[in-house]
Amino acid sequence: MIGADNVIVVDLGFGDAGKGTVVDHLCAASPVHAVVRFNGGAQAAHNVVAVDGRHHTFAQFGSGTFTPGVRTHLSRFMLVDPLALAAEADHLREVGVGDALDRLTVDGDALLTTPYHRAAGRARERARGADRHGSCGMGVGETASYALAHEDAPRAGDCRSPARLRRRLAALREWCLDAFPAAPADVPAVDDCAAAFTAFAERVRVVDGGHLRTLLAAGPVVFEGAQGVLLDEWHGFHPYTTWSTTTFGNAEALLREAGGGAARLGVVRAYATRHGPGPFVTEDAVLTRELPEPHNGTGPWQGPFRAGHLDAVALRYAREVTGGVDGVAVTHLDVAGARPDLRVCHAYDVGGRTVRRLAPNPPGRLDLQEDLTRRLLAARPLYAPLARPDEAVEEALRAPVVLRSFGPTTADKRTAEPAAA
Amino acid sequence: MGSGHWSTDVYSARRSYRAANGVSAFAYSDGGATTVHSDLDPNGVALRESRDSDDHPESLAIAVLFDVTGSMGGVPRVLQTKLPDLLGLLLRKGYAADPHILFGAVGDATCDRAPLQIGQFEADNRMDDDLAKILLEGGGGGQMRESYELAMYFMARHTAIDCFEKRGRRGYLFMIGDELAYPKIKRREIAKFIGTDVPADIPIADLVRELQRMWDVYFIIPEGGYHSGDPKLRGFWRDLLGQNVLYLDDLDAVCETIALTVGLGEDAIDLAEGLDHLAESGSTAGDSVSRALARLDGGRAPAATSPAPPGLDRPTTARTTRL
Repeated sequence: MIGADNVIVVDLGFGDAGKGTVVDHLCAASPVHAVVRFNGGAQAAHNVVAVDGRHHTFAQFGSGTFTPGVRTHLSRFMLVDPLALAAEADHLREVGVGDALDRLTVDGDALLTTPYHRAAGRARERARGADRHGSCGMGVGETASYALAHEDAPRAGDCRSPARLRRRLAALREWCLDAFPAAPADVPAVDDCAAAFTAFAERVRVVDGGHLRTLLAAGPVVFEGAQGVLLDEWHGFHPYTTWSTTTFGNAEALLREAGGGAARLGVVRAYATRHGPGPFVTEDAVLTRELPEPHNGTGPWQGPFRAGHLDAVALRYAREVTGGVDGVAVTHLDVAGARPDLRVCHAYDVGGRTVRRLAPNPPGRLDLQEDLTRRLLAARPLYAPLARPDEAVEEALRAPVVLRSFGPTTADKRTAEPAAA
Repeated sequence: MGSGHWSTDVYSARRSYRAANGVSAFAYSDGGATTVHSDLDPNGVALRESRDSDDHPESLAIAVLFDVTGSMGGVPRVLQTKLPDLLGLLLRKGYAADPHILFGAVGDATCDRAPLQIGQFEADNRMDDDLAKILLEGGGGGQMRESYELAMYFMARHTAIDCFEKRGRRGYLFMIGDELAYPKIKRREIAKFIGTDVPADIPIADLVRELQRMWDVYFIIPEGGYHSGDPKLRGFWRDLLGQNVLYLDDLDAVCETIALTVGLGEDAIDLAEGLDHLAESGSTAGDSVSRALARLDGGRAPAATSPAPPGLDRPTTARTTRL
């Protein structure tokens, strides 16, 4: 399935499993025309280390960008942050990729994340005090929620119409300062923001929804998910979720419109991690302290990076809410190989009852998701020894492991085609 | 996952986007190419076709050919940035159900490396790829002529378009520039650049008549070219194309001008409606477009057979600004 034309790459945990390194490998190992982002926004942080040691944290550009010629397309489901995008392009230039912006297309319907969303998001998270949800402080959640309530939320296409852009930014700034009197009054003036956004649209190709069909016709496309299934806006453990559909759903909706198909590739670490607050049944303070995590630390908004054991119960839940995967990439096997004390959680103990399966709730029932969160916060893990992480993952997900990663670069990857497809 | 890894400051972002390295929508040309890209080389091309398909049952052929020499070198870059607007207007407002757009570039057959570059009719963003492959000459001959006649020969005899063949509707051909064509299409140049053999040179007026059977032909003169204000230029094209010579005081409005011209030609709108659509879409091109198209719109009014009143050359715009 690695040889399949188009691939959708989705993290089956809480994020940070290594989607970036997997996408980088797919683009380096076979001809890929473009990487398409289909959820989340600039808060993604997909770390890729090139074989020659260059490192970049991909936030909005596709993680295949180190491979010359691979394009990035930000679909309408992506929340685009033009300011962060400029800084990211600058860094890519520093590490030798000078044409990242030339290889970029943005759907005109994509919502824009602005400094006003950022100010609002931080004000809201500050007001929660100790009860934080684990926001990244980038304004991504605010971008999504503002758009639900305001038809005139700014979109990428507006950057090509200065008058409309200014109108929409002004309304947004007004809303931000009204709703959050505590928000720093130093949010940029509308004209300054509009000037930067206009420059963005002059520099970057803003395209329409038909562009994906063109990309698919030109060659294989990799759809790069952000965050993880267990953070999904409907299936995640409310309220510790993200304002984004983190399953295969958006990518498949885009493919339906464009008339294409793709294989589903799930990405899983050989152990579990969670960045920020929320339920994490298999958390282990020793692992948090001792496992190397070169690119993730404690963020001022997101909180600490936590580590724990492989959680088969959570993986089964991810399988059910996504409808399953065609193949799995297991990462960090090098780390796992050096830790004989890693285990696998096969069931939870919740108030004396053994729970092997978390039943998915109908989408949209956040009250039921909140009940689930409460049960998880009270759950204790029941462990079995972990002989082979990839076998445990195959069993929980009922899908073959097709890619094994033993280190940060594409040279550390080994593919295995399933014996029988 | 992660957190705001990249800084977000409006001023540095603006500087960064404006940085000088940002031109390469024209990667081929800016990358130092000196010859016509093989995809755009007309030599040996039997036909460029615009055909109906299941996706596009009502295809309408639109060809845009521009001068890429001298003062006109900025035209393709403007076209490239405004392209989504052009397509958006055509499609959203229903001016044309299934536009197929072909881009081409015109140089000087007597001295340029690339006297003619011709893309394909594309229904989607692939036309961008054609634009990206265009070789931007820069130079230019200095004799105030470009080989439009060679481009028109190609369009007349090497295109096949379903809108005309199946539905009897002519396609739209726009040429953009500030120079004259040569008075004859030379047999020698046809052989050299297109690869076909004709018995003799063809006078340009004969060719234009032939071309207009299948194509509605417009010439757009953007202000600011070396020769834009030259009365010789105006006279030359007006003799060939009549009222279909459009003066454009703002090159940035070129896509809107093309879109509204198609809308007018397809009877989808009148000028006032078209200008409203522009205002609606946030475009600031309305004034320029209305000045460029006022005469065309007048030509479509119910046939009032009185002689044109004096001063019609400088139409006053009756446009309410809603921005």
